[in-house]
Amino acid sequence: MSTFAARLTDALGPEVVRSEPEDLAVYAFDAYSEDRLPAAAIVPHDAREVGIAVRIAQECGEAVVPRGAGTGLCGGAVPTRGGLVVSFARMNRILEVDVRNRRARVQPGTINLDLSTAVAGHGVFYAPDPSSQKISTIGGNVGTNAGGPHCLSYGTTTNHVLGLEYVDGTGAIHRTSVDDGGYDLTGLLVGSEGTLGIVTEVDVRLTKLPEAVRVCVAAFADVESASEAVSAIIGAGIVPIALEIMDALITRAVEAHYHAGYPENAGAVLLVEIAGTHDDVAAGETVLASIAKAHGALSWRAARDQHERDALWAARKGAAGAIGRIAPNYYIQDACVPRTKLPAVMREIDEIARAHRLPVGNVFHAGDGNLHPLLIFDRRERRQVEAVVAAGTEILRTCIAMGGTISGEHGIGYEKKESLGLVFSADDLAAMGHVRDVFDPRRAFNPDKIFPAGAMCGEVGTPPVAARA
Amino acid sequence: MIAGADALRIGGRAPRRVVEPNDAAETAAALAAAGAAGECVVVHGGGTLQQSANPPERYDVALLTSRLDEVAAYEPRDLTIGAGAGMTLAALRRMLAQHRQMLPLDAPLPQRATIGGTLAAGWAGPRRMAYGRSRDLLIGATVALVDGTLATTGGMVVKNVTGYDLGKLYIGSHGTLGVLVRANFKLLPAPPAHRLAVSTFDAELRERVIAHASNVAVAPTALLVRDGFGALRDAQHPEEIDFRPQIVALFEGSETTVDRAVREYRSALGAAGIAETRIASDAAGEAAFQAIVDDYVAPAGDRSLTLLARGLPADAPARAQRARSAVEIDVETVTDLLTGDVVARLRAPRSLDAETLAAFGEAVRAALGRAQVLAAHDVAIDAWGGTPGTIETMRALKAQFDPAGTLAPGRFVGGI
Repeated sequence: MSTFAARLTDALGPEVVRSEPEDLAVYAFDAYSEDRLPAAAIVPHDAREVGIAVRIAQECGEAVVPRGAGTGLCGGAVPTRGGLVVSFARMNRILEVDVRNRRARVQPGTINLDLSTAVAGHGVFYAPDPSSQKISTIGGNVGTNAGGPHCLSYGTTTNHVLGLEYVDGTGAIHRTSVDDGGYDLTGLLVGSEGTLGIVTEVDVRLTKLPEAVRVCVAAFADVESASEAVSAIIGAGIVPIALEIMDALITRAVEAHYHAGYPENAGAVLLVEIAGTHDDVAAGETVLASIAKAHGALSWRAARDQHERDALWAARKGAAGAIGRIAPNYYIQDACVPRTKLPAVMREIDEIARAHRLPVGNVFHAGDGNLHPLLIFDRRERRQVEAVVAAGTEILRTCIAMGGTISGEHGIGYEKKESLGLVFSADDLAAMGHVRDVFDPRRAFNPDKIFPAGAMCGEVGTPPVAARA
Repeated sequence: MIAGADALRIGGRAPRRVVEPNDAAETAAALAAAGAAGECVVVHGGGTLQQSANPPERYDVALLTSRLDEVAAYEPRDLTIGAGAGMTLAALRRMLAQHRQMLPLDAPLPQRATIGGTLAAGWAGPRRMAYGRSRDLLIGATVALVDGTLATTGGMVVKNVTGYDLGKLYIGSHGTLGVLVRANFKLLPAPPAHRLAVSTFDAELRERVIAHASNVAVAPTALLVRDGFGALRDAQHPEEIDFRPQIVALFEGSETTVDRAVREYRSALGAAGIAETRIASDAAGEAAFQAIVDDYVAPAGDRSLTLLARGLPADAPARAQRARSAVEIDVETVTDLLTGDVVARLRAPRSLDAETLAAFGEAVRAALGRAQVLAAHDVAIDAWGGTPGTIETMRALKAQFDPAGTLAPGRFVGGI
């Protein structure tokens, strides 16, 4: 056992600390392709234990990486410099539900969907709903400012976090609130991917369930015409609750697995959710259906009941998993463009994939302009691996050229850090560096994440070897 | 129009010089020059919320953002806009209205209030539960820093986790970290119909009225109880002022839905004992609602002080009640039943001196639990009333962004 692990065990006990390689293997990776064993991991009961561990890490010069469920796609939870992984598997309780004030206080390991399920009887829910919501944690969602299909209308995680408790680099515990006077530390911490501190408690907003909900499915000949319809809907000043597109490849894959009722032979499917009063929902459907038809919708159908709505959503949120069943490997990209650029960017993505001879599936939050092209490849084929990396970078460059950005909701993590300079100037990054200097002068919190090498010099620990594709 | 030096006074201090940069680059250069000369800079937008922070310890240069008023990017079909920080909210509103869009920042005095000032002051209006506050609507920003650089955060897309979200840091920072030169927002479709429902009630009905009004199926976008604050006059009888409390509800949405909302709301209030609810529709309703928000910073009598206390909605009526009975002079309140904000205005009689009013202000602040100053007319009181537990982190942020203390020293919480 290393000195570091021994010190942790002395302070926190063997029940909290993991230090054997076979126990550490599960903390080495997330849903990205990199992995590295940490020197130790802890599964703390409370913030106090997190604070003690962080202090010991500081004294030993070790990095600290927080970990929710490990569903992140960009390597954000990978301990690229070894060090300490803090798992929130045990800190998963809903501490307080205040229905009158529509708030809840939860531990970071709380599963996203568990919160909505727990409060559903009170007519409220927790709005951010990443597709991983059945397994991903609210703490992890805070780290990446996670989105989800319903964020079109309700906003992403940052719009629903009202305050935080966090542990700083010295192990001290602090509390923030968006209603405090002073700088908005809550807003800084959300989406900082664990690089500024370790969040140990989250105050969230609960949203009132709408009076009526309708989920509709439209079939289109191709992704481009479905995208035209989405641009037209937003352009007409209509912001439904959700506007999602799946292309033919994805639709066939999810239908084969879920049998949710999507039109299997459509070139693309548009999934629309409308909510509000009964009157508004009925009127909204009429308007949306007519816009969709004017842009080439071949069919339009509303789910009959809650059961059908749930089935459609379950299939949509399971899309990546369904592709996993038919493809040897896939690489899911996350980028965002202004909504008028959707049809053009979809054409470009198609051309990029063709040029690299890679099949591409598209399943995305069209209403937000948030794209998720899935490049399908076989890891055993060297040419394909290289093509995926090249195509991914071209897609990002295309999105930036169209006024977009390189991550809408998954985060930058380890995967895209070298691309951050495509979006921001050295001066922009320097301002972000000011914030890092305050919260994490030692560069111990989640090193090698978000920022390109060199932009954040002095990160602790041994740097990782060059990325493998 | 360049404001006169008098209009730029803060807490009795006047700047030694005024700069009015033409663009972002000039703003950054002006900051760097002032920093190099050891001067202290205070940023001015429309000046409508200047009293909501402490007077600067030093004040050499007034930096006016009035020329930074260009729209850099507006594609209505994207529902986003990038606008200069010096643009007034009224100008922005006019532009967006042409495309039936809105940015519901709801600040007082929109003819003067600027985008940059509204953000820097951390203004959060009464419709924020329905539409979000500025921190939910800002998607990108460019700030001029004291080292002469321009730093951009976010972008022009509505979902973005690319780098730190520094826009949140600049919101509410009162010009102590940098000068906002451009702000990008996501926009919302403007609701086609508006109804402002105003009802006066007898104070003994308060609890019932609040309970019934808070429990309607179609939620209002704003719901306020006003005690005092120049109770709205009846258009038919403008000479009569009714001093009883008022409940004000704003309903927005489709014609069908607002009509239904008003019908159900009226009947809920009727069951609580309110016989009459007056409705102002569309433009008239919007104007009346803006007048209510304008009142948040309006002076009253010869000398007045307005405090804002944020808190939980459920206990807002009790906090407002404590504020009204805390001192022996009139305390008017607006109780925001959706957001939990309580706005309390102390109206001093002619005979009351500024020191006594300030002492009363502290007593009301204590009754509210925690409160910041929104407006102070001829009275001086600490704008913040306490420091958050994370103040050391905030001081460190200030030291990083503005190591020499060039920007508005002493204006922010904890003397930052």
